[in-house]
Amino acid sequence: MGNFFEVLDATFSSGNDHEIKNINFAIPQKGNIVCLLGPSGAGKTTILRTIAGLEKLKYGTISLNGKIISSNTLSISPDKRNIALSFQDNCLFPHKNVYQNILLGLERKNRKKFLYSPQELLDLFKLKEVEQKYPHEISSGEAQRVSLARSLISSPDLILLDEPFANIDQILKEDLQKTVKDILKLTKISAIVVTHDPNEAFYLGDKCGIVINNVLKQFDTPYNIYHFPNSLEVVNFLKRGTLLNVRIINRQSLEHKSLGIINGKYGCSNLNQFNEGKTVKLLIQPEDLMHDDKSQLKLKIVDRKFRGTNFIYTLRTPENELLPVLVDSHHQHLHENNEEFGIKTPINIDHLVCFEKK
Amino acid sequence: MTKINQPFYSTNLSFYIILCISIISIIPLFTIIINSSIIDFDFTLLKNSQFLEYTKNSLIILFFVLCLTFVFGVIPAYLVTFYNFVGVKFFKYSLILSFAIPPYIFGYSLSAFFENYGSGYTLINLIWHTNNANSYLPNFSPIVNTVLSLSFTLYGYVYLLSRTSFVGQSVNLLDLGKSLGFSSYQRFFKIILPCARPGIFIGLSLVAMETLSDFGTVSYFGVSTFTTEIYNSWFIFDDLNTSNFLSLLLLIFVLFFFIVESYSRKNSRFHSLQNEGKRKKQALKGTKNFLATAFCLCLFFFSFVFPFSQMLYWSIKFPEYLANFEILKLNLNTFLLIFFTSFFLISVAIFTNFGNRVLKNRFLNFFSSLSISGYAIPGIIISVSIISFFSLVSSFINFDLKTIFIGSFYGLILGYFFRFYSIAYNGIKSNFLKINYSLDESSYLMGFDKFKTFSTVHWPILNKNIFFIFILIAIEIIKELPITLILRPFNFETFSTRAYNFATQDLIEATAIPSMFLIFWASIFILISFKYFFQDNK
Repeated sequence: MGNFFEVLDATFSSGNDHEIKNINFAIPQKGNIVCLLGPSGAGKTTILRTIAGLEKLKYGTISLNGKIISSNTLSISPDKRNIALSFQDNCLFPHKNVYQNILLGLERKNRKKFLYSPQELLDLFKLKEVEQKYPHEISSGEAQRVSLARSLISSPDLILLDEPFANIDQILKEDLQKTVKDILKLTKISAIVVTHDPNEAFYLGDKCGIVINNVLKQFDTPYNIYHFPNSLEVVNFLKRGTLLNVRIINRQSLEHKSLGIINGKYGCSNLNQFNEGKTVKLLIQPEDLMHDDKSQLKLKIVDRKFRGTNFIYTLRTPENELLPVLVDSHHQHLHENNEEFGIKTPINIDHLVCFEKK
Repeated sequence: MTKINQPFYSTNLSFYIILCISIISIIPLFTIIINSSIIDFDFTLLKNSQFLEYTKNSLIILFFVLCLTFVFGVIPAYLVTFYNFVGVKFFKYSLILSFAIPPYIFGYSLSAFFENYGSGYTLINLIWHTNNANSYLPNFSPIVNTVLSLSFTLYGYVYLLSRTSFVGQSVNLLDLGKSLGFSSYQRFFKIILPCARPGIFIGLSLVAMETLSDFGTVSYFGVSTFTTEIYNSWFIFDDLNTSNFLSLLLLIFVLFFFIVESYSRKNSRFHSLQNEGKRKKQALKGTKNFLATAFCLCLFFFSFVFPFSQMLYWSIKFPEYLANFEILKLNLNTFLLIFFTSFFLISVAIFTNFGNRVLKNRFLNFFSSLSISGYAIPGIIISVSIISFFSLVSSFINFDLKTIFIGSFYGLILGYFFRFYSIAYNGIKSNFLKINYSLDESSYLMGFDKFKTFSTVHWPILNKNIFFIFILIAIEIIKELPITLILRPFNFETFSTRAYNFATQDLIEATAIPSMFLIFWASIFILISFKYFFQDNK
């Protein structure tokens, strides 16, 4: 059996010389969720619009259920694709109220039965109070939820969500992410979610794709993307950790000027591509280093961030590199800026991820 | 490497229909250009003293009308937008009633009042009991009469458009002016007026186009201008070539204002800012209050009450004309024309706009936007060009198309189509533009096809404003003179042609009844659509 949905060697273009080239990714099975993650303006929306049939594909093919729906010669019209798209901006019909807008979703031709009734969806998306209101009377967050409900109830084969939670406030957002994920999994509707929030992508996605500068840099499981980013751009985009200049001693250990020897686990590194003795950049993430007040290795603190469950201390090495260290929020005492901060030695890191030094 | 370009052609049937509509709608322009260039024209005409005479007349009238409409339009618009004074609400709405009066009917009232032993004489006699009343009344020259008639009936364009610009101005901008220490006088000249410039220019260009195309007034007062010369050379001397050539010259004039207008429209988009917060009107006190009220009252009185009461007075004073006058038939004719024409124009406009929205073909879109140029072409030129066109085609295909279209209902509706299609097209288009394209897309994505998208998404949003477009077309048709006069079927009369015919026969008293009906219906149309004229208030 082939993939449920597949994009093969595709080049997307939104008309104004903006091209996203050689894109390959797939949704293996019905009900899987794929997230496309990337900075704004990277072309994620163009990809969604093309999959929906609103833009033409330049090269390659897009297929759904084993049938080609887009290629450079063929393009099935959007109303016949059975793909729903929930736009980033409000696109509710202004002359219908919230409930009527959702009901319109029921009018798709040859629609399969949907698990939830419109009333149940109103409940799930917490729209009961605004049910009778018109689009101009509700907030943009509410409008986004209505549009989401409308797309879901039309029971498509594939649902495309463009920044579905962008205008929704943080507290409600986490509830809704769970609601949407549950609904999608229960109803076995596949989804492609576009977002610029890594946490959202890692939570929702069975697989994630990172789109940067019109290129799909990496397409993998959230775990692999986080722990084995395949390029500097991905690291920079995710903004987790820093890069240290280290010298390779052997396949499992590296040396840093002030931190000393850094050990890794065998097989959990990408060091094979580099020669021994070479200087490379090592990715250090906050959870890699551990704090120890008694340690000999001490560095100066330049910043402290309180994250509720933990602190992130930023340290400065003599080489002027900034190092993040994660400390449990229950740690007995606070350390102030400019104080010396102990790091537990020897340093053991689970995944040694290095990049060529430029 | 090939790029996906929009094909120049399309296999879609609606593509060709829209293309045809667009091509048909530029026939008048096309005919005039072809006709006046293929003939060997005697250019000595240009040195003709007559030619200089009517060019001079047209320009003088144009200049003074523009000055007066600027004053009559901008001042009340400024007053009602920024100040509170006695009667401000009443004036805000009632000033647009001037749209109900066609300039030529204003002209009839002017001469009815100021002529020897006219209404003015009666009035003075009644109050002061003097037998010498005629000497107190000024005797205006034809050009002054024309300028007054046009200014008092056309200032509404400047008033409406400058008011819209004023209302759209940001409150912050004015507050900024205050914080910079500008007086209200400085604020007006340094902030309010410059920001409203595009709107005012659009209004003035419309006035200019109407002035240049005016036929009824100048022909009544016997001022020779381009339009009367075009009419005379065709009607009296049966010289289509000369009238085509003059039409071309007049068109070049009009084109200038058409360009100014389109350019200003583009600019006005950048000039209009979001209107943050609610504007608080300043209350005028004492003398200022009185002056503001007096100005607006005079304007309202002269532009609407004066011509309407004059016509009413005469209708009562000369009841003998009522007897041999087919009132019912005239009403029926006028409404028949209004309903057929507006139904036809609006349907075509919806079809082309929807087609363009769906097809998204740039070439077609360009062609369709050419089709609205008709409103700039004076009615007299449209009539002449329809006649030339069908004579040309009839002789070419050896089939008498001329009798089908000239002097028939079809020809008349075609004439209105050329002249007023832009009202329908622009009206529908601006409403379509308000519908975000992503609404169409989300409709498609819910599995609705194009026609279902139209019926569930577009139509419910469009239909609220279609009534207003209908009203606008109705007002124009009811006031329209030259096209109706020239292209109508034999013995088919409307209020405007009836009034004009009486006026040319010097039966000025007899014009009262058709004129009064005309003003009555046009006012009704304006009254029931007030809220659409002031839509920005929401």
